[in-house]
Amino acid sequence: MSDSFRRAAGRKVISRASARVLGAVHDLLVDAEQERIAAVIIGRGRKAQLVDWAQLSGFGPDAVMVSDEGALRPPSDDRERAAADGKLGLVGKRTLTERGNEVGTLEDITFDPETGVVEMLRIGDREIPAGSLLGSGPYAVVIDAGQEPPP
Amino acid sequence: MKLLVTASQIRGLPVVTIRGGEDVAEVRDVIYSPEAGRLVGMTLNKRGFFSGRRREVLPADAVHAIGRHAVMIVDDSSLTARDDAPDDVGRPATGRNVIGNDVLTEGGRSLGVVRDLALLVGSTGEVVGYQIEKPTGGQGYIPLPAQVAVSGAALVVPDVTEEFVRDDLVGLGAAVDDFRARLGLA
Repeated sequence: MSDSFRRAAGRKVISRASARVLGAVHDLLVDAEQERIAAVIIGRGRKAQLVDWAQLSGFGPDAVMVSDEGALRPPSDDRERAAADGKLGLVGKRTLTERGNEVGTLEDITFDPETGVVEMLRIGDREIPAGSLLGSGPYAVVIDAGQEPPP
Repeated sequence: MKLLVTASQIRGLPVVTIRGGEDVAEVRDVIYSPEAGRLVGMTLNKRGFFSGRRREVLPADAVHAIGRHAVMIVDDSSLTARDDAPDDVGRPATGRNVIGNDVLTEGGRSLGVVRDLALLVGSTGEVVGYQIEKPTGGQGYIPLPAQVAVSGAALVVPDVTEEFVRDDLVGLGAAVDDFRARLGLA
């Protein structure tokens, strides 16, 4: 059963060891090349922390479980800091094809909560395969030209 | 049917990296080679409200695609210091500007004066026509063969061009292939 970025936003992040609430999902950081979720961003701004996908014990429908608090880490590079500042959020961002034409707003992304593999991108009312994702950043999400509607 | 944009529509477009999704610059102006019928590059402004000129230029070879909403590059290593760019990009020759030139057919009839360039969307800068101001007033668009004789005052096009003057970019986009087929270029 797929999960989605919109549904996951705000979900509690809980330590399996202590059962304490460590925060809430602010965003999910995607590795476009690997087509999978690289990390979960908890909180936002200067207090934001990340958990690498490999450190999760379960991405559940009601809570995201991590082994313990030690799994949380601060952003470690420019891209992660930008993500923590909320600049790299994919959902709600303009979508350009590699040909430089805008095709709409990225409304949501579905993924497999077992593996973190990104499945589909919803752009406007169209669903396109995650393999079309070429890159993303502060200005735009970029997808391949094959997903451009004909003129 | 080809999708076209004018050079003036490209000015101000963001220059966006494909992998990084970042708007690293915006287009200040296009650098055009009338002989080659294509852009050789673009000059750039900084992005944002207090934008000023950027020292780097973007050679056409480094452009992935020119679209209706953005100019796409692979990454910001595509932006090249003026001194490192090929001469026709870094130091474009003056006096080669076709804007304001009279368009004359080989038979000696004036079709109008060049006002803008029409480029192929998705290309790295192929110019397929000109926007002209007709002698009778009003705008029109003419297709171009791949290469034309151009002097800085006038440019000479085949007589058949006169049959392919169109009123808008969409009309020109539809006419380009027919025009080139008539000239035996397609």
